[in-house]
Amino acid sequence: MLNFFIDRFSQALFALKDNLRRTLLSILGIAVGIAAVMAVGTISKGGNYLVFSELETFGLNSLWVFRDRADKNPNRMIREGTGINNDDYQALSSDCCPAVRRISAIVSGSRGKRIIIQANNRYSNAQLQGVDTALTTIANDVIVQGRPFRVRDMTSRRAVAILGPMAVEDLFGAASPIGREFRIGNRKFTVIGVLETKSRDFLASIGSAGGQDANNRILIPYTTFQQMQGHKKINYLQAEAVTQAQASVAAEQLIAVLKRHNGRNFAYKSDTMDTYINTTQRILDGVAMIGIVAASVSLLVGGMGIMNIMSTSVLERTREIGLRKAIGARRRDIMLQFLLEAVVISTMGGIIGLTLGTGASIILAELTGFPLTPSVTVIIIALIVSVAVGIISGYLPARRAARLHPVEALRYE
Amino acid sequence: MINLTGIHKSYSVGEVLLPVLRGVSLNVNAGEFVAIMGPSGSGKTTLLNVIGCLDDVDTGTYTLAGETVDQASDDDLARIRNQHIGFVFQLFNLIPRISALRNVELPMIYTGEHPAERRKRALQALQRMNIADRADHAPSQLSGGQQQRVAIARALVNNPELLVADEPTGSLDSATGHEIMMLFHELNQAGTTILMVTHEEEIAAHAGRIIRLKDGLIANDDGA
Ligand SMILES: Nc1ncnc2c1ncn2[C@@H]1O[C@H](COP(=O)(O)OP(=O)(O)O)[C@@H](O)[C@H]1O
Ligand SMILES: [Mg+2]
Repeated sequence: MLNFFIDRFSQALFALKDNLRRTLLSILGIAVGIAAVMAVGTISKGGNYLVFSELETFGLNSLWVFRDRADKNPNRMIREGTGINNDDYQALSSDCCPAVRRISAIVSGSRGKRIIIQANNRYSNAQLQGVDTALTTIANDVIVQGRPFRVRDMTSRRAVAILGPMAVEDLFGAASPIGREFRIGNRKFTVIGVLETKSRDFLASIGSAGGQDANNRILIPYTTFQQMQGHKKINYLQAEAVTQAQASVAAEQLIAVLKRHNGRNFAYKSDTMDTYINTTQRILDGVAMIGIVAASVSLLVGGMGIMNIMSTSVLERTREIGLRKAIGARRRDIMLQFLLEAVVISTMGGIIGLTLGTGASIILAELTGFPLTPSVTVIIIALIVSVAVGIISGYLPARRAARLHPVEALRYE
Repeated sequence: MINLTGIHKSYSVGEVLLPVLRGVSLNVNAGEFVAIMGPSGSGKTTLLNVIGCLDDVDTGTYTLAGETVDQASDDDLARIRNQHIGFVFQLFNLIPRISALRNVELPMIYTGEHPAERRKRALQALQRMNIADRADHAPSQLSGGQQQRVAIARALVNNPELLVADEPTGSLDSATGHEIMMLFHELNQAGTTILMVTHEEEIAAHAGRIIRLKDGLIANDDGA
C-alpha cells in the first residue's frame, strides 16, 4: 500500500517537472490563499484574546443602569435630573435584587463645568468620578499602592482619592503619591490609592474607549463629590451581576425597583458587558469574514490555475494516457494519477503558505507582543483546505483523462 | 487461441456510418506468427485493436484464450491487456520524462508488483532485448531501434501469451527493422503468439502466415 503511493507520488512529481512555470504559478496562488487562511485564523484567535483580555478589565459581569433620555412620554420627558438619587440608591443597596452581587453609585461632574485639578503647579485633566466602595471590585480595578475606599470614606464625605497611573504621573511625576495632597477645585484631597495600568490598545484603536482613557481617572467618594456640587444626584449605577449571563436579569431587577420609586417621572435603561462582548464578537466575526473572502479568492485563483495546468497536461499527455490504458491502467488508475498530481501541486502551495503564514505571525507576535502564534487547529485546517482544493480542481481534468478511449487516445497527434 | 467470428465494426464520421470491418472471421493458434497486410485504410489497425482488446465491436464474437472478450467490462479488459497482451507501436509510445527502465516497469505498476521485483524483471526484459546498458537513459537519448527495443521489453515484461504489433518497423530503417524481426523470431520461438501489421513484404516474410485485408474483409489468408 505504501509502495503504491510512493510510486504514484514520484510519477506525479516527474509529471510536474514538465510544466514547471505554470506549476510554480499555481503553487504561488495556493500559497497566498493558505497564508490568508492562516492569517484569518490566527488574527481572529489573537484578536479574540486581545479583546477579551481588555474587556475583562471592565468586569465581564458589569452592567450599567441610567435614565433613558430618549423616553417618548412627554410628561416624563420634561423632567430634569438623572432620575436616581441617594434614596433610590439606599433601596437598591439592600438585598432587593438577587441577580446583583454588588453595586456602586457613580457621580460625574456636571457637563461643561471644568474643575481644575492641580498639585503645586502641576495639572491633571483626569476624568473625575465619584464612586462607592464596590466600584473598584466591580470594574476589576487593581489597587497597586495604598488602599481601596472604605464605608467611612463615604459616610464622612472624606476628601480622599484613588488615582489612575496617568493622573499620578501628571500630578506627582515618578514619586510615590500615597499620602500626598492635591486640589480638586478649591478642595484639598489626599491620595490613598493608585490604580494599575489597564491595557486599552485594542479598544482605543477601534475608538471604543468611550473617549476616555481608563488610566487617566481620579476616583473620589461619591458623597464627597455630591457635597462639592451641592446636590444628591447619582448619574448612573454600575453593578456586578452574579454571572455574565445574569447581567440583563440583574439590570431588570434594578430597573424594576427604580420604576417603583420614580416610574411616573422617569424611564430607565441599561447596558451590560454581555451585550458589548456580543457586539465585539460580531465585529471580530465580520473581520474574519473579510479574511475568509480574501482567502477564498486566492484559493479560487490557485485552484483555477491547477485546473488549467491539469487540463493542459491531460491534453498534452493524451497518447501517454492511451498507452497506459493499453498496458493495463484502469479508469481509476488514471483518475488517481491526475488527482494526485493536482493534490501534490496544491499541497506544495499549502506547505509554502503555511511556512509563510507561520513566519509572518511569529514576526508579528514578536513585534507587537500580541499572542498571534498559529494554533495546531489552524495548521490542520490549512492542510485540509489545500488538499481539498487539489482534489476539487483536479477532479474534472482527471475524470476527462480517465474516460478517454484507449484507441482514440493512441491515435491523438 | 484467438477466435473471431463475423466481426463488424464501423465508425460514424459525422452523419455517415463508415464500415471498417465487414464480417471478419479468424482463428489464430497459440505459437503462430501472423502478419496482417493490406492497403492503407483497409482496417488493419482496427482489426489489431479489436484483437488487442483495445476496441469493441458492433457485432460478432471474440474469444481470447477461452475468455469471451466482447462481454467483458472495462476493468476486465484492462486486466486482460495487462496480463495476456503486449503492445508494440510504430511510434514506440515511450513516456518521455522517465528512464527506459521506468518505462519497462510501467505494466507491473498496474499489477501492483513489488518495486524490487519490478526492477529485476524490467532489467531482465531489457537484457533480453540487448538494451540493458541503456536502462537509465531517457527515450530521447536513444535511437529509433533502441527505443523500439525498450518498447518490446515493456510489452514482454508481464510475460504475455500474445504480442500485437502495429507496423513495428514503420519508423525504422530496413537494417534496424530486420534486427527487430530477429527479436520477434526469438520471442516466437520461445512460445509467444505474434500478430503484426505491416505493409512491407520483406517484413511480412518473417511471419509464418500472412493475412491480407481488403475493404474490411479478409481477401487472402495463407494459413487458413
Ligand atoms: N476513430 C475513427 N473514427 C473515424 N474513422 C476511423 C477511426 N479509426 C479509423 N477510421 C477509419 O477507418 C478506416 C480503417 O482504419 P485503419 O484500421 O486505421 O486502417 P489501416 O490501419 O489499415 O490503414 C480508415 O478509413 C480510417 O480513416
Ligand atoms: Mg494502420
